[in-house]
Amino acid sequence: MPDKFLAVEDAHVSFGNGDAQVRALRGISASFERGALSLVMGPSGSGKTTLLSLLGCLLSPDDGTVFVDGVLVNALNGEQKAALRRTKIGFVFQSFRLLHSLSALDNVCLGLEIRDPKQPERMTTARELLVHFGLGDKLNHEPDGLSPGEKQRVAIARALAGKPPILLADEPTASLDAEAGRNICQILRNQVEQHGKTVVVVSHDSRWQEYAHRTIILSDGQIKHQEQVTNS
Amino acid sequence: MKLAWQNLLHDRGRFLTTVLGVSFAAFLMVFQGSLLGGFLRAASRFIEASDFDIWITARGVQAFEFGATLEARVQELASGVPGVVETGRACMAFAVYRKPNGKQQVVALVGADPNLGKRFPIPEVAERPEDISPESVIYDESDRSVLETLSLPARVEINGHRANIDHEIRGFGGFLGVPALFTSYRNAAHDLGFPPNEGMYIVARVGKPYSVADVQQSLRQRLPEVDVLTREQFAHKSRMYWVIKTGAGSAILTAAVLGFLIGLVVVSQTIFANTMENIEEYATLKALGASRGFVARVVIMESLICGAGGTVLGLAAAIPAMRYARSLIPWIHTPSWLPVIVMVLSLLMCALASIASVRSSLAVDPGRVFRA
Repeated sequence: MPDKFLAVEDAHVSFGNGDAQVRALRGISASFERGALSLVMGPSGSGKTTLLSLLGCLLSPDDGTVFVDGVLVNALNGEQKAALRRTKIGFVFQSFRLLHSLSALDNVCLGLEIRDPKQPERMTTARELLVHFGLGDKLNHEPDGLSPGEKQRVAIARALAGKPPILLADEPTASLDAEAGRNICQILRNQVEQHGKTVVVVSHDSRWQEYAHRTIILSDGQIKHQEQVTNS
Repeated sequence: MKLAWQNLLHDRGRFLTTVLGVSFAAFLMVFQGSLLGGFLRAASRFIEASDFDIWITARGVQAFEFGATLEARVQELASGVPGVVETGRACMAFAVYRKPNGKQQVVALVGADPNLGKRFPIPEVAERPEDISPESVIYDESDRSVLETLSLPARVEINGHRANIDHEIRGFGGFLGVPALFTSYRNAAHDLGFPPNEGMYIVARVGKPYSVADVQQSLRQRLPEVDVLTREQFAHKSRMYWVIKTGAGSAILTAAVLGFLIGLVVVSQTIFANTMENIEEYATLKALGASRGFVARVVIMESLICGAGGTVLGLAAAIPAMRYARSLIPWIHTPSWLPVIVMVLSLLMCALASIASVRSSLAVDPGRVFRA
């Protein structure tokens, strides 16, 4: 029986209608191992981001099923999906998506506030996380005052703030230079190694292959190839 | 809700514009509310200044300021009704006042018996409040410049009859556009030329154990040709006449409502623009798992911050403005509860203004976070 910790089964997703209809996923089935870094690659339009949206409970399949932390997502309403994201999933985006009016510290605090508004020590937790990621001297900087690499580290700190078991990253190194990109790869790999997180990275960046435990190649909304990597 | 604060502070220009918009609305509501409050109070102040329970007027009289004559025997008939322990008389009509310098001025002449009530403006004799100084007249200090009384006592003429202005009073400034002069009923009836068998208002006091309603009913049966109203009924009727029938109240009320609507539009526009500008951030919040309540709270909080800030500023500006207005419009009155009502209305206005923004922020698809 396949592991249903984080999985999609025979998922179909289409966008648009009639002649303009695009079939983003065509009956895809994939199970993502607990405590592993999975890399999803493929050309543009192959369905990588759609797959990530399904796993992040941000999109519902036209057909098929999605499991997150063992929960069948199809049966949940909007607020229940939000609750699942809040407690089980951390997101890292290509464009960072930090809130522009908040400092680095407040951005991370917000991640905690969303998860538990009554948590009394969010400031301390957020500070510790940022210090851990080498941003101790940038706590009060707004996103505009940070480099792309620093912004991504803040975003990762925000994603990790509530200690979610799953981390979904969409092109996390696409906007970064080589060194900053490697740094982010290592940070996410460390989350798997040291904290047992389940990380799914969607990327065009081939550098990720040396950090991933498993690589899935998509093409035209289907899995073209997948392989277990023995680089640990 | 630091995010709400920070969103507002991030665009200080827009925040300031919103706060000023709300403060303008709050100021307008306080000012118009004070005009309306003062107008309502002034429209019935003579009636409410009396201690008597029942007012008897000629049929169809709408307001104290526009009375009509009735037969003087009504007072005797009223006195004979069981439950009536005391009666009195009052009148008001326009008269020509000749100033000390000889110029003429139309005035409202108000006359009343000395028993009408301690709050009713009557020129009493200092040591004997039951007596009224003969030929004595008093006026509100706000009418001093119109009456041109350079020093007191002053000798003047009312409808060609001699009168002495003794002293000034406060709180009875005219809202009719002409000054009011107050004197005894006897003087007023004489100056206004009432025949001995005519009066204007008869008031009656009800004694225990009779109820006002029962005595009113008895008076109506005994005096079918006149109107018999309780003090509250006549005061209400008078207020409704001035506020509704003359259209003055409607005009004031319309301006107050316009103030509310202006504030509503200003806040609504700004908060909506702010929300749409930050719509991607709301999508991010939803993607991160923020509940609908959390997202809505951020938007509503932004709106309420604008509302609270604007109202405080508007009220702060209204205090000196009202003080100045009172020197020009003596009857203007700001009830102590009005600022509280304006604060509540402003916050309600801001909450209403945020509805469209809340809907937009809740409707945003969190899935757009992956569309770079």
